[in-house]
Amino acid sequence: MILHTLNAAPSSPAFAQCLELAAAQDCILLLGDGVYAALPGSEASERLGSQPARICVLEADAAAAGLLPRLGAVEVLDYEGFVTLSEQYPRQMAWY
Amino acid sequence: MIYSLLVLSSPISGHGSRHALHFAEAAIARGHQVNRVFFLDAGAGTGNGNAVLPQDEGDISGAWRGLASEHGLELVLCISSALKRGMLDASEAERYEKAGAMVCEEFSIAGLGQLIDAGSTAERLLTFGG
Amino acid sequence: MTQVQRRKQLIVLRQTPYASSLARSATDLALAMGAFEQDVELLFLGDAVLQLLDGQAAEAIGQKNLGKILASLPLYDIEFAYVDAAALARHGLVGEDLVLPVRPLDAAAIQSLMAACDHLLSL
Repeated sequence: MILHTLNAAPSSPAFAQCLELAAAQDCILLLGDGVYAALPGSEASERLGSQPARICVLEADAAAAGLLPRLGAVEVLDYEGFVTLSEQYPRQMAWY
Repeated sequence: MIYSLLVLSSPISGHGSRHALHFAEAAIARGHQVNRVFFLDAGAGTGNGNAVLPQDEGDISGAWRGLASEHGLELVLCISSALKRGMLDASEAERYEKAGAMVCEEFSIAGLGQLIDAGSTAERLLTFGG
Repeated sequence: MTQVQRRKQLIVLRQTPYASSLARSATDLALAMGAFEQDVELLFLGDAVLQLLDGQAAEAIGQKNLGKILASLPLYDIEFAYVDAAALARHGLVGEDLVLPVRPLDAAAIQSLMAACDHLLSL
């Protein structure tokens, strides 16, 4: 069980690597430039939707990017939620 | 739980430094222990006491210092990353005959052993970059 | 009392050798962990496989030769590295092109390797 913190724009190699390696029992937390993958109708959100891991998005970064009013059905977490994820998923892989 | 954090990002560029800071705050608030925050590579700039920020920009380094004073959080800059970036404490400034110390007192300068040591007792090790 | 356990650590390298200082920092960390007799392994993902390319002459750009440093890892009991097999193929490289013995892994094997570690350090 890995918490993948995805702080990379959807066009970056890190983004593609993360999606390739995230497994069904893992969680991907979108933060920093990674939040843009939560834009509904985007190519990246389709790619996210077709992989098996749980998807969450960091609220502050989504707000900064202008995404909060646009988000679809995705788990939105604050930093306490981020810490809770790190409790549930014993290891973290940072993608940036 | 015991956490160690590794920060690779500059405090003035990207997201990683801010993520690490707010993660540390939230972890402490949830009753976890953060045994050490190790700043490596561009992260070492976080200890720069001479940085002057515009008033409308968040002072991440200042917030780390506040967290250190309030909770006794241990903040360590990687020595080789720090020296390369002109980040010297008083003893390094004297050793290299540089004009003065740049590193704020809440930060110490040490080798990678401090990261390894922290990680060996931590149940969680999180990396922050980008 | 903190109980000290031996953590299984994986350094995940993701950068090309000379574009940023991160590759060098990752190598420094690997050497330090080796010197402190840690349980550590290395995984070179994506373009990071280029760090292992034989014949680097980084003095041409005023840098330390990363390939040479990586070749010294066996002195620190890090005898081999895991590499992203797809990335190696994408760059037209084979094991003989590299400074260190490697074990190429496909995506499923990389997933298993990551899932079996206590701490992942991504640089």
